[in-house]
Amino acid sequence: MIGLSTAACRSLFSPVCVRAVQQEYYKMTIRSDRDHGQRYRPRMSCLKKVEAIVVQMQDPSTGVKGADQKLNVTTIPHAITGQVIIAWIAKNMNMDSDEAQAFGTMLVAFGYIYPLQDHKKLVLKPDGSLYRFQTPYFWPVQKWKAEDTDYAIYLAKRNIRKKGVLDAYEQEEYNKLHTWLNHKWDFIVMQAKEQYHAGKARQKADRVVFDCQERAYWIVHRPPPQTYSAMDCGLDRHIDPNVEEIIYTQQAVMRSRVKSSVSLGALVKYMTTFKNHDPFLVPCLPSNPWQTDNDSYWELNMTDVEVPTKMRVERWSFSFYELLNDPRGRADFKVFLKKEFSGENLAFWEAAEELKWGTAASMSEKAEHIFKTFLAPGAPRWINIDGRTMGLTVKGLEHPHRYVLDAAQTHIFMLMKKDTFYRYLKSPVYKEIQKKAISPEPHNFSDSQLQQNMRNRRPSISPIITWQKEQEEKAKAAAAAGPIDIKKLMASKLDRK
Amino acid sequence: MPLSNNKVADDGTSAQPLQEGKAMVDSLIKVVACYRHLASCVGGCTDNSSLRRDLRQTRERAQALALSCRNHLTARLRDKTLPEAERKETELLWVAFSSCLELLHADMCKVFTMAKHFSLANNSTMVQTGIQGGTTEVAARALSLPDLKEAGDGTQTSSMEGQEQSQLEQEIAQVDRTLEDMELKVNVLRWTVEALGPQYADPVSTDSASLALLSIDEEAAQGFCSRSQMFAIMMLCGVAIFAVVLSVCVVFLV
Repeated sequence: MIGLSTAACRSLFSPVCVRAVQQEYYKMTIRSDRDHGQRYRPRMSCLKKVEAIVVQMQDPSTGVKGADQKLNVTTIPHAITGQVIIAWIAKNMNMDSDEAQAFGTMLVAFGYIYPLQDHKKLVLKPDGSLYRFQTPYFWPVQKWKAEDTDYAIYLAKRNIRKKGVLDAYEQEEYNKLHTWLNHKWDFIVMQAKEQYHAGKARQKADRVVFDCQERAYWIVHRPPPQTYSAMDCGLDRHIDPNVEEIIYTQQAVMRSRVKSSVSLGALVKYMTTFKNHDPFLVPCLPSNPWQTDNDSYWELNMTDVEVPTKMRVERWSFSFYELLNDPRGRADFKVFLKKEFSGENLAFWEAAEELKWGTAASMSEKAEHIFKTFLAPGAPRWINIDGRTMGLTVKGLEHPHRYVLDAAQTHIFMLMKKDTFYRYLKSPVYKEIQKKAISPEPHNFSDSQLQQNMRNRRPSISPIITWQKEQEEKAKAAAAAGPIDIKKLMASKLDRK
Repeated sequence: MPLSNNKVADDGTSAQPLQEGKAMVDSLIKVVACYRHLASCVGGCTDNSSLRRDLRQTRERAQALALSCRNHLTARLRDKTLPEAERKETELLWVAFSSCLELLHADMCKVFTMAKHFSLANNSTMVQTGIQGGTTEVAARALSLPDLKEAGDGTQTSSMEGQEQSQLEQEIAQVDRTLEDMELKVNVLRWTVEALGPQYADPVSTDSASLALLSIDEEAAQGFCSRSQMFAIMMLCGVAIFAVVLSVCVVFLV
C-alpha cells in the first residue's frame, strides 16, 4: 500500500510529496515506539481553510485591527478584542453575530487565536477581552501530532522557571512521562534548560509572548481534564484516504448493482415503517437515557423483562426478522409455538445459529446432536424440509463445518415466516401481550433534576453476571423442553382419562 | 577522528573521549534549542531575510555538530573493548543524541512547510504575533559567536528562496538517512537505558520580571475578588475603631 501511495504521489505530485511519504514510512518503521504511523486525520482537513481565513485577517488594510497590551512597564502590540474579531468575521464571511461568535470560538479552540486573560477557557467572548494570533510554528497540523517529548520539555521548562507551578493534572502527566520517557530524561532536562537560556537571550517582552504562545499551544493539545478539546478528531487512520481513492473506487465498481427505483422503494418502505421507532426523530419513551441520564428506558427494554413496552411489541409485527432478533419476542413466539406443538422449527433454527456462531471445538458434537434430534428419519423433532435440501444437508453433515446447515436453516426460516408468523400475529398469545404491554409516561425533568440524575449515574450490571444468568436460563429451558414425544404425551393424556 | 580516539581501557585518560562526546552532545542540544526559538518566529511579524539567514546558519552548525557526534559515538559503541560503565554512559549519550536529532528533524520539517506558505519573496502577509525584537542574539548564542553579525542581506528573490527550500529539503532527507543509518549500525535498546539525572530540573535563579508579567493576566481575574475583600476588611476595621472611640468617650464623659 505504501508502494502504491508513493507511485501515486510520483505521478500526481512533486518530488517533495514523494519524499514526505518516504519520510512518513521511515517514521513508521524506525521511530515506531511512540509514533503510531500516519497522521491522516480526515476530520482535520478543515485546517487548511481555517488557515486561509486567519491569513486574511492579517491583511494590514482589510484585516483585524489590533491594539497594544499594557503589562506593567512593557507594551506588547497586536492584542485584539473579542468583539473586533466577531465583527470582522460577521462582515467578511457574511454571517450574523451568533454564528460569527461560534466560528470565532472554533478558531480559539483550534489554537489559531489564544486568549490573553483566562487562558484555560478556549472561547471567544464578544466583549473587550483580549486575544492574540498564534505564531504559525504552533498552529495545528493535520499530519503531525503534538509529541510527548515536547510536552515533557515544556513542563520541565515551566518547572525551571518556578518550582511547583504545575497544575495537578500536569504534575500527573509529568510523572507519567518520567516513567515512559525515562531513557531520554537527561536529554529532556538539558533541552529544557537550554531552551530556557536561549529564551533569556531575547527581549523581555518577546519572552513573555513566547511563553504565552507555548502555553496556549499546550492547552489546546493537552487539554485540562473535563474540558472539550477541538483536537479530538476520532480515529487516526493508517492509510491516507486521499491517496487510497483508487482502491476504494475499484471496490465500489465491483459491487453488485440494483435499480435505484427498487432500492429507493425499499428505503422508503423501511422509513415509513420504522420512523416512529427512531429516537432521533421521535423521542423515545420514557426518556432518552443519553440525554437525561435516567436509564428507565433500558430497564424497561431488557431481554428478560416480564412485560414489554408497546413500541417493542409493535416492532415485532413489522417483520419476522425483527421478532426473532428481539430475545423477548423470540420467547413469546416460543410460547405460541408450544401451544401449537410446532416448536421443532424454531428449535432447529436456534440450534443452527448456535452451530454457526459457536466454538470450533464443539462443532462436531453439536452437528451430531442436531442430526439425531432433527434430521434423522424418525427423529423425535423431525423437521419438514424438501428432499433435495435434506439430502444436501445430510451429506454435508458427514464432514460438518460452520455453514453446513445454512440451506436448511434458510428453508425453515422461510417456512416460519410465510406460515407461522402470520398465524402468530393473529393468535390470542400476541393479542394478549399487546394488551398487557405498557406505554410509559414521558419524563419531564427540570434542570436541577437533570443535574441530580447526572450525579446518580451508576454502572450497569457486569456482563459476566448477565452471561451467567443467560447460561442458567438456557440450561433450565433445555431441561424443561426436552424432545416432546407426541406418543408419550398422548399416552399420558389417555392415562389421565 | 574516530581512529585517534581509541584511548580506551588503558588508563584514566579514557574519560577524555567520553567528556568530548558529552561536550558535543551538549552543544548540539544548545543549538537545537536555539533553532526552535528561531523557528517559532517564522511566519510572524518579525520574519525577514535575516531570520531566514540565522535559521540557515544555525541549521548548518547543527548538522556539522551532528555529523561529528555521530561519528564519535558510533565509533565508540562499535568498539567491542569498551568497559561496561563507559558503554552505559555512551548509550545514554547516544539516546540523547538521537532524540536531539529527531527534534531537529521535526523543526526542520515545520520550517519547511511554513516557509512555503509564508514566502518572503512573494510578500505574503505575516501573522501579527506580537513579537517585536529580533533573534540575532539567539543565533549568536547558537553559533557561539560573541558578537552579532548585522550583515543586511536585503530582500530575497524568489529564485533564492526556491534554492533555499530545495536545500532545506535535501538536509531534511539527510537527517532522515542519518537517523536510519544510526539505527542500523548500532543497536541501543531503549529499555536498558536509564536516566542518571534528576526528575526535575533545578530551578534557575528566578527571572522575576517575566514571571511577574506572565502572572499579571492570571491575577487580573482574581484581582477584583481580593480587592473587594480588602475593602470590606478595611470598612469593618474602621467601624470597629469608631465604636471603640465612641465607647471610650462615653466612659470618660460618664
